[in-house]
Amino acid sequence: MPEIRNFTLNFGPAHPAAHGVLRLILEMDGEVIQRADPHIGLLHRGTEKLAESKIYSQSIGYMDRLDYVSMMCNEHGYILAIEKMLGIQAPIRAQYIRTMFDEVTRILNHLLWIGAHALDVGAMTMFLYAFREREDLMDVYEAVSGARLHASYYRVGGVYRDLPDEMPKYEQNRWNNAADVKRLNGDREGSLLDFLESFTQRFPNYVDEYETLLTDNRIWKQRLVDIGVVSPERAKQLGFTGAMLRGSGVEWDLRKKQPYAAYDRVKFDIPIGTNGDSYDRYLVRIEEMRQSNQIIKQCIDWLRKNPGDVSLDDHKVTMPKRDSVKGDMESLIHHFKLVTEGFCLPEGEAYAAIEHPKGEFGCYIVSDGANKPFRLKIRAPGFAHVSAMDEMTKGHMLADVVTIIGTQDIVFGEVDR
Amino acid sequence: MSETITIEVNGKTLSAQAGEMLIAVTDANEIDIPRFCYHKKLSIAANCRMCLVEVEKAPKALPACATPVMDGMKVWTRSPSALAAQQATMEFLLINHPLDCPICDQGGECELQDVSVAYGSDKSQYVEAKRIVFDKNIGPLISTDLTRCIQCTRCVRFGAEIAGMRELGMIGRGDRESIATFAGQCVTSELSGNVVDVCPVGALTMKPSRYKARAWEVIQHAAIAAHDSVGSNVYHHTFTQQVMRTVPSENDAVNECWISDRDRFSYEGLYSDERLTQPMLKKRGEWHVVTWDEALETTAKILNEANKDQTGVLASANATLEELYLLQKSMRAIGIDHIDHRVRQTDFSGQNAAPLAPSLGVSLEDLEKQDAVLLIGSNIRYEQPMANHRLRKASLQNAKIMTLNPYHIEFNYDTTEQSVSSVAEMLSNLAAIAKAAGVELTHFSNIEVDEQTQNIATYLKEADQALLLLGNLATQHPAYADLCALAQLIAEKTGATLGYLPEAANTAGAWLAGVVPHRQAAAQAVQTMGKSAQEILTDSTKTFVLLGLEAEFDTDNPQKSIQALAQADNVIAINSYVNPRLKEYATVLLPASQTVETSGTFVNMEGRLQSFKGVSKLLGDARPTWKILRVLGNLLDVDGFDYMSSEDVRNELKVKLEQTNAYQAEASPEAKPMDIASSPVSEHSFHRIGTVQMYSGDSLLRRAIALQQAAGDERRRVTLHPDDIARLDLGDEQTVSVAQGDSSVRMSLVADSAIPIHSALLPSATQKSVELGSAFGMIQITKG
Amino acid sequence: MISTLKHYVKTFTLFELLQGLSVTGKYFFKKKITIQYPEQKTPMSPRFRGHHALRRYDNGEERCIACKLCEATCPALAIKIESEEREDGTRRTTRYDIDMFKCIYCGFCEEACPVDAIVETRVFEYHFESREGSIITKDELLAFGDKHETQIAKDRAVEAAYR
Repeated sequence: MPEIRNFTLNFGPAHPAAHGVLRLILEMDGEVIQRADPHIGLLHRGTEKLAESKIYSQSIGYMDRLDYVSMMCNEHGYILAIEKMLGIQAPIRAQYIRTMFDEVTRILNHLLWIGAHALDVGAMTMFLYAFREREDLMDVYEAVSGARLHASYYRVGGVYRDLPDEMPKYEQNRWNNAADVKRLNGDREGSLLDFLESFTQRFPNYVDEYETLLTDNRIWKQRLVDIGVVSPERAKQLGFTGAMLRGSGVEWDLRKKQPYAAYDRVKFDIPIGTNGDSYDRYLVRIEEMRQSNQIIKQCIDWLRKNPGDVSLDDHKVTMPKRDSVKGDMESLIHHFKLVTEGFCLPEGEAYAAIEHPKGEFGCYIVSDGANKPFRLKIRAPGFAHVSAMDEMTKGHMLADVVTIIGTQDIVFGEVDR
Repeated sequence: MSETITIEVNGKTLSAQAGEMLIAVTDANEIDIPRFCYHKKLSIAANCRMCLVEVEKAPKALPACATPVMDGMKVWTRSPSALAAQQATMEFLLINHPLDCPICDQGGECELQDVSVAYGSDKSQYVEAKRIVFDKNIGPLISTDLTRCIQCTRCVRFGAEIAGMRELGMIGRGDRESIATFAGQCVTSELSGNVVDVCPVGALTMKPSRYKARAWEVIQHAAIAAHDSVGSNVYHHTFTQQVMRTVPSENDAVNECWISDRDRFSYEGLYSDERLTQPMLKKRGEWHVVTWDEALETTAKILNEANKDQTGVLASANATLEELYLLQKSMRAIGIDHIDHRVRQTDFSGQNAAPLAPSLGVSLEDLEKQDAVLLIGSNIRYEQPMANHRLRKASLQNAKIMTLNPYHIEFNYDTTEQSVSSVAEMLSNLAAIAKAAGVELTHFSNIEVDEQTQNIATYLKEADQALLLLGNLATQHPAYADLCALAQLIAEKTGATLGYLPEAANTAGAWLAGVVPHRQAAAQAVQTMGKSAQEILTDSTKTFVLLGLEAEFDTDNPQKSIQALAQADNVIAINSYVNPRLKEYATVLLPASQTVETSGTFVNMEGRLQSFKGVSKLLGDARPTWKILRVLGNLLDVDGFDYMSSEDVRNELKVKLEQTNAYQAEASPEAKPMDIASSPVSEHSFHRIGTVQMYSGDSLLRRAIALQQAAGDERRRVTLHPDDIARLDLGDEQTVSVAQGDSSVRMSLVADSAIPIHSALLPSATQKSVELGSAFGMIQITKG
Repeated sequence: MISTLKHYVKTFTLFELLQGLSVTGKYFFKKKITIQYPEQKTPMSPRFRGHHALRRYDNGEERCIACKLCEATCPALAIKIESEEREDGTRRTTRYDIDMFKCIYCGFCEEACPVDAIVETRVFEYHFESREGSIITKDELLAFGDKHETQIAKDRAVEAAYR
């Protein structure tokens, strides 16, 4: 009689359905998963260690690259921890800008997630629609920061520059006649806020379309319903945060529970699931996109009415204005010193967390009083989620692993750091 | 002892000495008070007003640097009124400061920037035009940007109080106030570089490293300065593995917080075109670049085949202890006994009476506590600038500094007596002092004691702490042994200490390492007595080994040295530089390291062993010298040459030294009068005073561009007493012909009454002196 | 009862699938949003951070004064500067290299520059033909600046109000 034993399957790190560089060692009994062992670290870049040798502001750019689909949120977590230690608060306009861009980022992240998730499960078209909307939001990113992905837009004590009053426009050329250009530039005639507003008006319809394509779709439901069920208690025990936790029915959102930036000034609801399966998490994220859209709208209204500083007027911490650097001695000295040495944090430690699209993203900084962190610990939500891979996939079929990876919304930039 | 009192600063109780300044107390207790004009080694000016603090019962903020502490005083350094005062001061200081940070070398290490960020406002309210002060050229070492000056006068006070020369001063009033030199002269002090360190802003910066590197990108390495036997502690700052600048490292026992210009700017010579970067062999009169294997094997073959008695080894006293030890160990092991480092010395008759190693006799710190010091043949100011600084401090406390020199020397303090005589008469003058001190002399019976000599003897006797110091001019004196013997007698009679001022960074180390013909390492007895440097540099030597020496510059008699080297069959030069003359007489060139490029140890004038590490990248194929010597030792099949590091070598020697703690030298031979004619043979004959000028002492210095510019042309001239010039009717001559031995050179002439009649100051180690003979011989000066 | 019936009807008529198909079908007749890259490009922000350039003053003098602030602030250590005193006594670079592989395009160098010498241009399409090619030298950067100066100056003028 032949020996019967479990079959071990190496899934990833270059599998088309494995996100990023995820590598799973799957022990299978036929097509049923007995054990899933995620191997991480293939994208480890030592961000935490790297930060120890750089002045605080230099690490902002590296935060973008953690979860590289929710760039500004990562920056926000890091900046918030520093501001907490310094005991400063960015001007209110900067707080609103941050809130707005956190939500833009959340939509960006969820769009990528829904595109990739649906693609993994078999719905090709979603990916194209999601990326169409992402394009507009990336234009927004580019308009404020100059980069479509790695923005490094948030600064300690504010943001890099105020929102531009003009959006870049299409130009007439061989392929576009005047009428085309006019149509393409339709929502680019005004400021960035106008452009974003027209997006927020269009976006709920887009979400409706996604739902039309997916929510009731029998294949989608067959692949998602009752897959990867996590009970609320278990979700808490596993350290789940974000949509993973809310999908299980736990009403927990840092934006409500520990409001930061301008979240206590905007109205929004927290969607929660009931069953804790992949389908509920899908529904939660879809609703989050709608809520984010609402928050963006409220921020746009406020920002229109309230011009002002976007960076603290304290040049011991924030960069002085360009004009004054060229004209007055104090500004030049502070510019010089901020660029070369940065600022020092008081001795001590601080933890600041934000509601990142994927969950709770936090930075824990220990300072010995120098201009570089003594230790920087990044709490990445994805790490806790990927750790639950074994529990979530056990007893499911191989094809469901793909669904669970999708529903976990893992990005290895943050898991491996 | 002053009374101990308690004061309260920021609510903290501190104890202090009555009369201390507040800032000194807070500094000692690590409480930060911003300051610009205050410097712990300088007097108090209280003109920057940056250190304003709130003091109880004082109506206004008081400057901490000029407020003596009083019992029960309550001070707040960070109270609102103190902070407001500090912020206001900072604003005033920045009103006229130019927006130069991006192009200023001080940027990044600037006290003004630091204090502005820590205590100043972050915005300016000033909109009017800023003042401009035109820069002054104050020499090749220091560049000025006087618009940046904040009038703290630290540099002025440094000049007046430390350097002893009021070269910089403050002129004008109000916003016209500016730093200036007297009548636009250059700054010439041998310590001038320190003004760059004391300057809190970028008004004074180092010219040679101007614009080359930023403070944050250089790497700081602790090291020991290599140009005098003080062994100043320094930091070399390297950028791309090259030394960019050298700054003092604070060590109160050695150099306090200053260094001489020589130690500061000599690094430039490291990157001279004359660096030797590849091993080379001369084959049939042609130089060939060869591999290290070939070069070292050839060297070993030459040494093995050479007639050992006709082989001489000469080393520079700038080499490290390890290098010198390895050199003598390997050479003695293969039977070469003729080994020496005293290349400028001419009288070796007293060598058996020499101590274990020449040393100061007291510590450097104690030097400033002396009550009477007699300098015998020493221009200590230029030979050992940092030791001179200690003497200056002693002098300021009314110590009697007396000298016995072949010419009158300008010191930067008052000397009590300067006995000036020709080289030949120095001995009899010292004998006179001995006689005045009550020493019984068998020779010198008819010597007369004049008032000056009597004074010197009396001062030495009366002083609690008296010191006799023999300097370079004594060591190189034709009757050095007699000078030593007399000095020893005087010391014994007057209760003074006898000390030596070793010439080079490691002269003391060379003695300890056994690079002398009559003693092995740690003064162990030799089997066969070797020849001294002077005897080696003769035609009877057929094979030479030269370590770090340029014989034409570094020996007493260049004429003779070059002749001896030229007739030799083989000259192995282990050197980091090469020059055309060296190429002519050498047959093997082994590229060696300079001090900054190798690890090693120097022994300073106190006998302090100071080890250091290599900081700068070796050029080309050059290797650390101790490694070259180690491999050479292996190739020569010498036992015990398996050192893994220079520390191994040092430790081996250290063990030996510990066994010879109580070394007793032989008694000095009795001093006899000099047999050279005390008066010149013809009216054109002069006693040459062949001093080595401050910036020509070693290969590195001779190639340090900025220092060479600073040295000026003085050293290429011959200086005579105006009376001599008048006597020979040379008055309107621009140049004269100077003859010594077989050759003569034309030199320009300077008149100076500091030189005695019938003496001529004609420095050694210059391009001109290479053509001449012994540094303290007779020269003929004629028209033309 | 009625809802169960509705459910069955919907299930058997593939209702939700047809609904989805109607969405895709609708887009079949809509104007395409894709563009013909590289001939056609999307609009670009004046803040865009692309290939670096060194600028000159109108009189042709290079702006860079070798203050090394960009080098100090560069998080990726991509900039390498060596400097010395030029014959006319001004502070100038003898070497200004940017390693484009190390660069993370954060724009800090441009923020740090007190004389607007180093800038990040709109150019994002470039390639290297060798590994060493990624290191852009001072001459190349200056030439790049000369080539794109009109656009660079225009973008800085637009942005001046925000900086």
